[in-house]
Amino acid sequence: MIDAMFDDLKRMNKRQFLYQVLSFGMIVSSALMIWKGLMVFTGSESPIVVVLSGSMEPAFFRGDLLFLTNYEEDPIRVGEIVVFKVEGRDIPIVHRVLKLHERENGTAKFLTKGDNNSVDDRGLYAPGQLWLAKKDVVGRARGLLPYVGMVTIYMNEYPKVKYALLAGLAGYVLIHRE
Amino acid sequence: MTDEKTKVNKWDGSAVKNALDDAVRDILVKKLNYEENFALVDGRLGICSIAVGIAMFALLWDYIHPFPASKPVLLLCVSFYFVMMGVLTFYTAYMEKGIFAVVVHKDPAGIDPEVTWEASSYMKRFDDIFQLTLSCTKSRDGKVKTATFEKSVACFMDTEGNLLQDLLEPEVLKLHTNIVSGKKEK
Repeated sequence: MIDAMFDDLKRMNKRQFLYQVLSFGMIVSSALMIWKGLMVFTGSESPIVVVLSGSMEPAFFRGDLLFLTNYEEDPIRVGEIVVFKVEGRDIPIVHRVLKLHERENGTAKFLTKGDNNSVDDRGLYAPGQLWLAKKDVVGRARGLLPYVGMVTIYMNEYPKVKYALLAGLAGYVLIHRE
Repeated sequence: MTDEKTKVNKWDGSAVKNALDDAVRDILVKKLNYEENFALVDGRLGICSIAVGIAMFALLWDYIHPFPASKPVLLLCVSFYFVMMGVLTFYTAYMEKGIFAVVVHKDPAGIDPEVTWEASSYMKRFDDIFQLTLSCTKSRDGKVKTATFEKSVACFMDTEGNLLQDLLEPEVLKLHTNIVSGKKEK
């Protein structure tokens, strides 16, 4: 079976091979454009995030997929669940707003805490940082899909699985004709 | 004539169709000595390249100017990309229409006008009937003559999955002769 696939490849002329490469490029580009499109549409730099810890149980469990929006017009209020990134770290954190100080001009600083944690998030913020600002917010949770994110968590814990899967997909698209 | 045996997985419909298309193209180019015209395929390659180029540009721009700043450019790129997708779909459906080879017969003496031949094929999913259509357009009058045959792929392949070019050739040449003699009658 594998031989048959490589036979197909050997029989391709230059144009057909270029088309195979472009097909692969188009699949990658389509995924990329859908992601960027979501970013523009929701206003969030990461419109879909996976809940990585159990700090928000029983509202969110590890492995849940969250859909975010980050519209400027929505003010942050106490009790809302926000997704934020601490400066210098890449991992988004999903917690609830505990305290909020807001100025008349709209600038605000707020404190967060996970529902299932016993202390607030000051321990998670950057050294010396006591409050979060709007710029740290990635978005607000608007929708939820349970369990789906476990795939992402699994692939990040075993990177070899991720690479093997991607390599297999790439190989298949490049070799199989139309 | 190449003696290489083309072997495909006989149960894979699209591989069989591709093998048959390749063989027909071979016959048109090598046996009948026509020149292949790549304009149609190049058009599709061009559209795909533009689309991928737009996506890569968007990626690069977003990398250099991180998100909120890149919003308008990203919006533009995403819209252009999906427009290109629409163009590609239109192109494949209306201009390509199953045509897999375009060949041109140029008269070496330069007297007769160019004759363009187009070969297109169709095979329904999970069906074994292969439909091949040859159409001939004389560049001067623009009149189009077509000839078609529909045969089961079993007529051209053996049980191992080898494509038997010797069985395909006479069928293709028959279509070709049909059209050529039909023209002369007029």
